[in-house]
Parts: sequence; C-alpha cells; structure tokens
Amino acid sequence: MSDLILEIDSVYAAYGRPRSLFTLGAGGAGRVEALRGVSLSVARGEIFGLLGPNGAGKSTLLACVEGLHQPEAGMVRVAGLPPAQAKGRLGVQLQKAALLDDLTVAELIEVYAALYNAFPSRAQIDDLLARFGLVEQRNRLARHLSGGQQQRVALAVALAADPEIVLLDEPTGALDPQARRVVWDLIRGLHDEGRTVLLTTHAMEEAEALCGRVAIIDQGRIMACGTPASIVAGLEVRPMLKALTELPLDQVRGLPGVHSVRYTGQHLEVETSEPQATLPALQALAARLGRTLGEISLRQPNLEDAFLRLTGRALTA
Amino acid sequence: MRRFLVLTKAILLVHLRERAQLFWNFAFPVFLLVIYAAVFGGDDLASFIAWMVPGIIATNILAFGLISSSTLITEMRTKGVLRRLQASPVPTAHLLGAYLLVNVLSCLLQLALIIVVATLFYGLRVPPANLALAAPWVVVAVLVAVVIGQAVSSVVGSAGAAVVIGQVLYFGQMFITDLIMPIQYMPAWVQRVGPWLPGYAIAQLVRPPLQEGVLSPELGTSLLLAAAYTLVAGLLAARFFKWEARA
Ligand SMILES: Nc1ncnc2c1ncn2[C@@H]1O[C@H](COP(=O)(O)OP(=O)(O)OP(=O)(O)O)[C@@H](O)[C@H]1O
Ligand SMILES: [Mg+2]
Repeated sequence: MSDLILEIDSVYAAYGRPRSLFTLGAGGAGRVEALRGVSLSVARGEIFGLLGPNGAGKSTLLACVEGLHQPEAGMVRVAGLPPAQAKGRLGVQLQKAALLDDLTVAELIEVYAALYNAFPSRAQIDDLLARFGLVEQRNRLARHLSGGQQQRVALAVALAADPEIVLLDEPTGALDPQARRVVWDLIRGLHDEGRTVLLTTHAMEEAEALCGRVAIIDQGRIMACGTPASIVAGLEVRPMLKALTELPLDQVRGLPGVHSVRYTGQHLEVETSEPQATLPALQALAARLGRTLGEISLRQPNLEDAFLRLTGRALTA
Repeated sequence: MRRFLVLTKAILLVHLRERAQLFWNFAFPVFLLVIYAAVFGGDDLASFIAWMVPGIIATNILAFGLISSSTLITEMRTKGVLRRLQASPVPTAHLLGAYLLVNVLSCLLQLALIIVVATLFYGLRVPPANLALAAPWVVVAVLVAVVIGQAVSSVVGSAGAAVVIGQVLYFGQMFITDLIMPIQYMPAWVQRVGPWLPGYAIAQLVRPPLQEGVLSPELGTSLLLAAAYTLVAGLLAARFFKWEARA
C-alpha cells in the first residue's frame, strides 16, 4: 500500500451548530453527528465501495473528500493535498443529479468540463455521450430527460474533465437493471484506465460485483473494511441451507456442521459450516421421521449477511 | 479566462431559456408599457412616454433583482447546482463574478428591448448621449437591486417564501418610489417615506440621465442611500449564504 491516493484519518463530521446565542436557538437540538471517527485509505487504481443504509454517512464522507464539508476533527488528504486544494483532480457525481435544467446535454458536458479548465472537442464530447448511451439526447434540455438519463448525464459530467479520481454517490440509484449493468461496465472501464473510483451504494450485489474493497458503514462508523470475500470470511457467517420441510429444530441442531437453525415461514434455515455433511444428514433425518424435503437451496454468505451480523439490521429496509 | 466565458455563457443561457424568467424579464415590462400608455398616455403621449419609459426601466431593474435574480439563485441552490459548482475548482469569486455579469447582461438586454419597443411604437426619442450617460448608472442600479435580491435569497430559506418576499418588496415599492407614479402626486406620507427606499434611489440613478441627459441633483444622496442598502444587503447575503438547500 505505497501509493495511497485518498487518506481519511479519524474523521468526525456533524451537521447543525452547537446551540449558541448567534444562531438564535437554532442548532443544538437539530445537531446530527454524521461521522464518528472514520478512517480508511484508498490506493491508486482501486474501486472502493462505501456500503451502508440510508443515513449511514456515505454522502457526508464523500463531501469531506470533495471539500464540501469541513470535518470537525480528523484529517483528509487527496493525493497528499487538503481537499480544498485537490478539487481539480476529482470527478464528482453528487447524489442529486444537480444539472442546470435549461442546458442541453452537450452544453452541460462543455460547461462542467470548463469548470476544470478542460475544453473537450465536439468529437470528444460525442465520444463521451456515446459511452453513456446519450447520443440521441445530445441536444435535449436536461429538464426533458428521464431520471435515469439525468443520472447518466451526471456520470458523464463527472468524467468530462478526464479526472484521475472519480467520486460517485449512488451512481446506479435511479437506473433500471439493464442500465445498471451498463454503468457497472463503465465503472470497470474507469478502473482499467487506471483511475481510482470511490463510490457509495446500498446494494450489496453492486459492491460485490464492482468493488475491489468495501467499507461497511453504519451510523457514522466503519464496521468492516476489506475485500467483500474477506469481510464475509472474517465474520464467520456461514452458508445457509434452506428447505421446505417440517422437522423438529432440536434434532436438526445436532446434525454435523450446524451452527444455527430457525424457521422463516414454512422454510427451515440451517446455518452450516459444512453443507456437504449437513445436507445428507438432514435428508436421513427427514427419511427417518417420514417427512419430505422440498425446494432445497444452498446460499453462500454475502455482504448482506455480513451487514446483518455487524449491525443486527438488514441492509435494505 | 476561457473557463470564465464558458461559465458566463452557460448561466446566461439558463437565464434566457427559463420560461417564467422570460415572461417576467422581457414580456412583462413591455406589457406594462403598453397598458400604461393606453391608460395614462392622454393627449401628451410623447412627454408621458419620455417620463414613463425610464420609470419602467427602473421598475424592471428592481423586479429583476428582487424576483428574477433571487429566484434563479434559489433554484440553483435547491437543485444542488450550487453545491456541484462548489465541488469544482473554480474560485468562489469567479462564480460570483460570472453570476453578476450575467445579471447585468440580461438586465441590459431587457432594458434595450423596452427602449426599442417604446422607440418603434410610441415615438420615444432617447439621444445616444443620454444612453451613454445613463449606462454606468444603470449598471450600478442593477447591482444594487441584485444584491438586495441575493440578501432575500440568502436569508429566506425556502424557494417559495423567497419569491413571495421578493414580490412584496417589489410591489410595495412599485407605486411609492417615483418609479411609475410621480411621487409629487402621492399622499404626504408617501412623499416622506418613498425617498428613503431603494426603489427611489434606483429611479434617481436612471431617469434623469435617460430622460434629460443630466445627472440627478440628488445623485449624491441617492448613491449614499444605494450604497447603504447594498452594504447591508451584501453583508446579509454573505452571512447567510448557503451552498446547499436547508434540509
Ligand atoms: N444538510 C444536512 N443537514 C442536516 N443533517 C444532515 C444533512 N445531510 C445529512 N444529514 C444527516 O447526516 C446523516 C448522514 O447523512 P448522509 O447523507 O451522509 O447519509 P447517506 O449514507 O449518504 O444516506 P443515503 O443512503 O440516504 O444517501 C443522516 O442522519 C442525515 O440525516
Ligand atoms: Mg447519500
């Protein structure tokens, strides 16, 4: 880890001022502590995901990196610089599309690139629009685009100035499954070009599909950080064997490899460290008791389970 | 520099494309001119127009600052555009400069339209010397109105409330500050209060040079008044300015 491009060290961030005479009673009560001691670092060329539920502090963390929010304590460095001096190196897509409604798509690319002192040629703009499937929308006003199209414009805008670091706040939030896969491919393309990507998501399959490393963030704290596989492995969440059946729980509990058992509706769920041993034993038990086993499935643990284990809550409400 | 020009062009386009803005900035003042000429024009249309057109111009400057400019910035804030601009490396002073420049340009376009319509259809004659004399004071007047509008936008959180307050401040001054109703025909209290309001200072900056090719004898007082309002409004605008809409 010699080439750290983003360093975040013990960052605390809050909204609303402490109560004071000057704010005339506002603040104080409305104060929200959005980040409570967040540390992480991102190496050059990584795709790093911030995974967490609504209100976890993902956007706030990005805002601290973007120089939009001043942390109360802690340090942020972007390519070794304080955020305020590193703005020109970032490609930013905010959670809100934040487009000027009365400009066309091509005009938006032009003006946002210009903000970074980049002046792409017509051909370069067309090329960018083609990558995002926006060729037909080229000369349409932003206000006449669908939500998903606006989101793609916001992504294209983030890349308009050819940034080395790309910060994407829920890049696939408003997209249909097909468009989502297109954006995934685009983000992988950024990675292949050697750019660093820091993105947020509340979809664990997105984090798993896209990110080399992930930080699970909840209530302003980082609960786990690493590759998706290492997070899952590190928490000892085990594969889940599921079957439609009626078997006494205490007898299932004694089978080889079994860690926990429960019913969800008609389905028996068995958490097991040795599914190869548990399944035949389960079938034998069912045969002995004259019951059937239907709809058998085995699910490998994923980040969703890791999140549940870490926070006691499901990731998606 | 090129960055500044692209940015200025973009904000200007937004300004000129938004329908509500178009209506209030360009159609409404012409409509006001037509109505006023029809209702109050009377026998001496020429001298009425000579007095009224600078008044409509001053009124439009006031409306532009208090309503249009304030609404535009509030919308950019609500949509998250200001925040996106803040994330870019453009210094705040450049953003502010581009924004003020757009405001002045847009307002000058509106005033040109009023003068062209009045010249073509109502026989208005403004010598070029008057235009040249008036131009810098018109720019000053626009900046005064825009800064007051920015104060409204900064202090009042919500977009809806900012428009209402802007309109109250605008319509409140429209008839009592010598803009489109001669103040000497107004009740005594108006004659006492009106001259202390920013609308009056704007009228004094704009009308005498346009109508008579002279600066107002009250220019010093008007400038002082305008400077005081601009200073207070500017401090309020800066103190309460938010890049982001309040949650
Ligand atoms: N401008 C603001 N003013 C006050 N509180 C805020 C503001 N922005 C965020 N918060 C609060 O800070 C906390 C973290 O918010 P943040 O937007 O960072 O979460 P998030 O992880 O991005 O959530 P989401 O998935 O909903 O986008 C939340 O409790 C939120 O209510
Ligand atoms: Mg967010």
